[in-house]
Amino acid sequence: MIQQHAASRVTARQRKEVLSRGLIYLSLLILVLVFIAPLLWDGLMALKSQPELTAFPVHVLPEHPEWQNFVLALTYINYGHYALNSFILATLHSVLVTMTSALVGFGFARLQARGKNVLFLVMLSTMMLPAILTVIPTYVIFARIGLINTYWPWVLWGLASTPYLSFLFRQFFSSIPTELEEAAIMDGCSYWRIFWQIFLPLSKPVIATAAILSFTAVWGDFFTPLIFLSGDNTTLSVALANGYADVNGHLLTNVLAAGTIFYIIPVLVLFFFAQRSFVQGIATAGLKG
Amino acid sequence: MTLSTKEAGMHPGQGGHVVAPGRRRRKWVRYSPWTFYLFVSPWVIGFLALTVVPLLFALLMSFTNFDGLTDTWHWVGLHNYQRALQDDLFWTSIVRTLLFTGVAVPLSIAGGLGLALLLNQRIRGVGIFRTLFYLPSVVPVVATALMFRMAFDRDLGFVNLIIEFFHGHDIFWLSDPMAFWVLIMVMLWGLGGGMVIFLAGLQGIPTELHEAAALDGANAFHKFRAITLPLLSPVLFFQMVVSMIFTLQTFIQPFLLVEGQGSASGLTDTSNVPRGNYLYMVHVAAQYFSFQRYGYGSALLWILFALILLVTLLIFRTSAFWVYYEVDRDKSA
Repeated sequence: MIQQHAASRVTARQRKEVLSRGLIYLSLLILVLVFIAPLLWDGLMALKSQPELTAFPVHVLPEHPEWQNFVLALTYINYGHYALNSFILATLHSVLVTMTSALVGFGFARLQARGKNVLFLVMLSTMMLPAILTVIPTYVIFARIGLINTYWPWVLWGLASTPYLSFLFRQFFSSIPTELEEAAIMDGCSYWRIFWQIFLPLSKPVIATAAILSFTAVWGDFFTPLIFLSGDNTTLSVALANGYADVNGHLLTNVLAAGTIFYIIPVLVLFFFAQRSFVQGIATAGLKG
Repeated sequence: MTLSTKEAGMHPGQGGHVVAPGRRRRKWVRYSPWTFYLFVSPWVIGFLALTVVPLLFALLMSFTNFDGLTDTWHWVGLHNYQRALQDDLFWTSIVRTLLFTGVAVPLSIAGGLGLALLLNQRIRGVGIFRTLFYLPSVVPVVATALMFRMAFDRDLGFVNLIIEFFHGHDIFWLSDPMAFWVLIMVMLWGLGGGMVIFLAGLQGIPTELHEAAALDGANAFHKFRAITLPLLSPVLFFQMVVSMIFTLQTFIQPFLLVEGQGSASGLTDTSNVPRGNYLYMVHVAAQYFSFQRYGYGSALLWILFALILLVTLLIFRTSAFWVYYEVDRDKSA
């Protein structure tokens, strides 16, 4: 009797569980749809012809997919050229900033000197400094010394390392056992060689994370190339926002939609292959800052 | 027992070259302190040259009437700061920016936390859901703005299409007064970034606490209120500060989210920007790039700097009341 009672209670709880699970799935599905809608709509727009775009009532699905828009997106502006600019700039910056941030992170993780703690605190607090405050004054200074419309600013920013990536490296290097470096020092290894031959080879995942995060940051940046670069030297992000207009200044929305897809594909591909890196990068700063 | 260099580092002021007699420090810690300075020199030099110098340069400019082109500038003292106080657009843009931040940040934190709680359960396909919600936050800002422009376009967008389906009237989303809310939605679209941070934080909460509370008869809400929220509060706090600073600087999206058929312009034309999206940084960019008022623009930048410092300090001050830190959490950062 008692057992029976217990059994019916369990099934009641199970039923409740199934119901709440169903509700969770339903709300998640609706939310996902809402979140993905702008991306889906962009894809649909990219497949519409110009008359279909402005048809009334609006066609949700394109009746005759206009694949030509994707060709037009690549040819209407010099897409390959701007994409190459973005790629060169992002790679240049990413390689430099990853290397210098690794150096700084190693210093803070493994070496001692007077003033280290103060320096580290200063570095952490500059993570909070809005980038926008320095970009425009930097532009004014660089304009005076002739660095505008060159890639030098990105080289300099790369050489300067970033507090955020340095912190990421510092966290990782701190977790490596000291025995490794003790042994190396016994063998007469310099700190430079310890860094280069022991720590760097061990930190491939962090290197990948830093490289990917800094690459996508430059690839997606709009404001800096907009004010620092002009004409043919600018990046895809700027060309994309300004390029797809006809002679009357009217926006070619469908071609722009196609161009936008090409623009975000590299980021999405990187994201799907390196999800861990993105998540690790963002979570490290969030949890241990 | 040996002292590792890491532990030794906990004592401030103890340089690596200082080997106190009687301490069991090994010989291998002997290296010049310059090794450290050399390793961190990229950041130190970069910080001085590319952050401190531009900031101070802006401060100097803010006391002049420099126009960025001619060399006939002179000092004007505090004139630019006084001018700000009398500038109507300064006041409206600053109030609007605070309002924007005040709406967008709590909503995106609540949304991110809600999603994280939903996706912290053992359900099938949880990884796919996490990926899909996180995805928008890696989409570059230009692409986001352009896609929202297409989605909310009065004639071409799907949002009005849905409204029409329910026999509603078309809404001019990208004009006043709705443009402000579209901008808020753009911000909310990226809440996956916060979600990931909260998920990582939730996974750091020991499950024993929840189990013990369940044995004591606590329901889901009680557990959230008494365990999850306090233990997550440092993460919430961090996320709040960061997204607040981030949101206060918003200004690219207002330039790109404009109504009509024209192509998006650069930063020189603020005439297309709806009044509701005329945020503080839009006003600053207009001073520099449309009016060549470098002096006044720099003064506005420094006012923003001071404002951000003030708000951050305020949040840190209040944090003692609602952020819970475990007593033994004094391990350095």
